[in-house]
Parts: sequence; structure tokens; C-alpha cells
Amino acid sequence: MVSRRPRAAARRSRADRRTWGLAYLFVAPTVLLTVVFSIVPLVMLGWRSLHKGNVFGTSLRFVGLRNYKDMLAEGGGRTLGVTAEYTVAFVLLTMLLGLGLALLLNARVPGTRRLRAPFIIPLVVPAVATALIWSNLFAPRFGLVNRLLSGLGLDEVDFMSRPGPALAMVVLFGTWQFFGQNVILYLAALKTLPQDVMEAASVDGAGGWQRFRHMQWPMLRRNTLLILVVTTLTGLQTFTQIYVLTSGGPDGATRTALYYVYDDGFAKFDAGRADAMGMLLFLISLVVTGLQIAMLGRRDDRA
Amino acid sequence: MPRILVHRAVVYTLLAAAVLIVMFPLVWMALTAVKSNGQIINPAAPLWPTEWHWSNIPDAWGKAPFARWFANTVVFAAAATAGQLAAGMLAGYAFAMFDFPGRRLLFLLALSGLMIPFSAIIVPVAQILGDLHWLNTYQGLIVPNIASGLGTFLFRQFFLGAPRQLGEAARIDGASELRIFWQVYAPLARPATAALGIILFLQNWNNFLFPLIAVNTTKMQVVSQGLAVFQSQMTTQTQYNLIMSASLIAIVPVLLVAVAAQRHIVEGITLGAVD
Repeated sequence: MVSRRPRAAARRSRADRRTWGLAYLFVAPTVLLTVVFSIVPLVMLGWRSLHKGNVFGTSLRFVGLRNYKDMLAEGGGRTLGVTAEYTVAFVLLTMLLGLGLALLLNARVPGTRRLRAPFIIPLVVPAVATALIWSNLFAPRFGLVNRLLSGLGLDEVDFMSRPGPALAMVVLFGTWQFFGQNVILYLAALKTLPQDVMEAASVDGAGGWQRFRHMQWPMLRRNTLLILVVTTLTGLQTFTQIYVLTSGGPDGATRTALYYVYDDGFAKFDAGRADAMGMLLFLISLVVTGLQIAMLGRRDDRA
Repeated sequence: MPRILVHRAVVYTLLAAAVLIVMFPLVWMALTAVKSNGQIINPAAPLWPTEWHWSNIPDAWGKAPFARWFANTVVFAAAATAGQLAAGMLAGYAFAMFDFPGRRLLFLLALSGLMIPFSAIIVPVAQILGDLHWLNTYQGLIVPNIASGLGTFLFRQFFLGAPRQLGEAARIDGASELRIFWQVYAPLARPATAALGIILFLQNWNNFLFPLIAVNTTKMQVVSQGLAVFQSQMTTQTQYNLIMSASLIAIVPVLLVAVAAQRHIVEGITLGAVD
């Protein structure tokens, strides 16, 4: 890299130099706004997560990792566990359903080409509105789910006051809302597989399962990794349905990391704990995004 | 029965079941929106509406400033999307076409937004907005959303793949760099812009967390926030039918856009995963 610099400078002609001003002008809005609204806040977050002070961020004093300890003690540990459980369930369900439906839509059966629309609708309509449907469906006593349960002779479940069912309810909502994205991504990936190879395999008598197991699945590995990363990031940042459906309750059973940041930062005004959790959320996302960059980098090398 | 027919029957059945399950909550919302409240809270009442209370929809509309909330959402989503597309296209173009000192560093800075999820930094961002006196303003809603790492990345990829000869020919004809960008290359990017634009627009329209920290007055809130406020008011009054009517009001415009722009949305989702 160092040895390339002088050559690069020599290569820059007068014509290049004429364009410098324009180039800086073009990149300025994006770079400046990224600095002001992403990088500066991140630095503030890291700095303040090591300090204690009031909500205005003034009169700070250094406390080392105490905010992190406080955060973990004040329900933060539980929150990280809930976030992990939610994310794992969400990723598994949305990816399995996404792949399954993409395979069905890709099965070359007449009349199914236009069928993608129903799967993208939950993804693109406002989540607050659809979460409200969920709270109606899962309402105690008169909600449709409880009416079905009692109709089947089973016990009714109070989804709002029991930890396990509350978490299941928000996972189901997240899955319903998001799996369409994985349908689209897997379908796009399936369409890029070489058709002649697939057809040759069917002529050779490979059944549907064998074709999937030995040909499509291995060829989809890169796509699966990418979809895994995107879905994990989405799961880690779950917020809206928690806000609308459970407010993190009952007793923290559905409090995700982002809801913790919001609740401690804006409702309980404990910036220290919120900053510590925010920093942790950033670091976890960074590891996941790092994986994605590494994968994209490898693909660029190949190209 | 021949094997192909069995195969088709299985595929149709599974797909039909999936479509029914996915669409059911929305159908349920529409049915509940026009029921009487008595029918909703009675666990023994029939599931299909016995009487159709179409007036629930205007009632819900009249109980809260939905017109204002829609107007705010349109302003926010349209301006933020236009800003993201413009800033992303300019930066992507410069990174792809020009060689200038500090390009690598600036490109890393521009993309760093992709590595810093907004959700992790909401507390300091709210503080910056407060310091700027931008809380409860349109600029506070719009400006922090304009820098788009995704837009910059995708437009750079796009312009890297655009034919260089077009610009060189125009340059020989004496066209300025600005004119080459605007009249030669920007029009080429129109299809990519449409796909990215619709996805960004829907994301901005549905954004709940950012408006939640940036604005809190009834006058400045967006539809999603207003709907959450409306829900808590109507829950205390146990007006469950009006909650579903309001959800219907919030969903229908987006639903129409989604159906009309289906192809672009599908393309945009694929672009958005940077694949």
C-alpha cells in the first residue's frame, strides 16, 4: 500500500486535479452527516458508557466498567438472554420458512409466478399497525387464539402475563412480519442457479429431495450465510413489536436489548446503563457485520 | 394419477395454506374494524361480523389528528428518501469516477454508517438533536437520516459498471464534469434509483424508532407513533374496533403502493441485502 502511493500520485493528471473540488463536494453531504449522526454519537456512547453523570451528559465522572456491571445486574443479563433466545428462534423460523416457500415458488408450477406479493405485504406495511392486529388476536378471553384454544377444549393462555407465551407471541409476530424477505432473497438466489445442471439432474432421475440436498443446498451456501447475517441483525434490533405488544413484560420476559436501551435511556433516564447496553448492542452487531464484510470481500476477490 | 399432477397438487396446497396464513391477520383486522365493540369482546359471538359498522372507520379518523400524522409522514418519508437518493448518488458517483486524495478514507467513513446500527446510538443521537434544538422539527426528523451507507455503496457499484466511454466522448465535446454527471450518467441510474427509492421510502414511512426519539408532540408525530398513542387511548376506553379501524387506515395506503410497485420492491429487497 505504501509503495503504491507515489505511483498513484504520479498517475493523477491535471484533469484529475480539476475534478477534486467537485469530488469533495459530491461526497461531502454523506461523509459529514455520517460523522455527525453516526460516528460522533458512537464516540459519545463509548465515552459515556465509562462515565456516570446526569441525563444531560454533564458533570461526568469516570467509573470504568461500573455502568456495564450495573446494566448486567439491573436486568441487562436477562435482557441479553431474551435477545439471544428471540434472535435464534426468529432466525431459524424465518430462514426455514423463507427457504421452504422459495423452493415451492421456484417449483415451476403454472400460475404461481405472481404469488410473491402476499409474502412481501407483512414486510412493507407499518409494523405498529400489524402489531396491533397481533394484540387483538392474542388478547385474553376474547382474542381469536384463546377462543380457538377453548374451542378445542384446551386451557386459555394469558399471553400478556406469562413469560413463555409472551415471548412465543412476539417471536411469531416477528416471523410473520419478516419471513417474506427471506422468501424473496432465497428465490432470487435459486433463480441464479444454472438451470441446465438442474435439468440434467432430473433427467438422471434425481428426486426433488436429492436435487435439493446434493445440488441446490450446497450451491446456496453463500446466500444462506448472507441471509443469516441480515436476518440476525434484524432480530438483534427488534423493537417495534415489543413496544406495542408487551413493553418488555411480563417482568422482563420479552425485553430485548434495544428495548432496554430505549427504556433506560428515555423512560427511566439512566443514561449510564442505556449507554452500556447500546455499546454492547453495537459490538455484537459489529461482529455479525464483520462476518458479512469478510464474505463480501471474498466474493470481490473472486470477481 | 401421474406423478407430475401429484407434485403440482402438493405444491398448490402448501402454497395456498401459506398464503392463507400470511393474509389471515390482515383479513381479521378488516373484519374486526367494522364490528361493533360488543361483538369483539363477547367470546361467544360469531367470528364473522353480524352487523357491518362502516362508520367505525370515519369515527376512528375523527378521534385523532390522522390527517396531520399522514401529512407529517409524507413530508418525512419523501424528504428523507429524496435526500438519501441524492446524497448516495453523488457520493457513489464521486467514489466510482474521480480519483482524489483521501478517497479510501472518505469511502470508509461513508460506509461506516452501515457498521453502526442507528438503534445502538439512539441516546446520544437524541442528545445531539437536543443540542441543535432540532427536537420536534422537520429537519430533526429528516437530516439525520440522509446519509446512506447502503445508497453510497450501491450507487458506487452501479457507476463502476457504467461505460466510461460515454463520459469521455462528452468530455471531448467540451461538456463540464457536472454536466456529464447530470446528463450522461444520472439518467442511466434511473432503474436502480427506482428500486432503491421504493425500499428506502417504505423503510422511512414505517420507521418507528427514529421518530419516537426525535419528535413527541401530537403536531409533529408520524402515523406509526400516532397509532401507538391512539391505541393506548382506545384501550383505556376499550374501543377495540376503533383500534383495528385505525390500523386499517394506516395499512391501506401502503398496501396499495406495495401491490402497485411489487416488482420494484422485490428488486429493492434483493439490492438491500447487498447481494
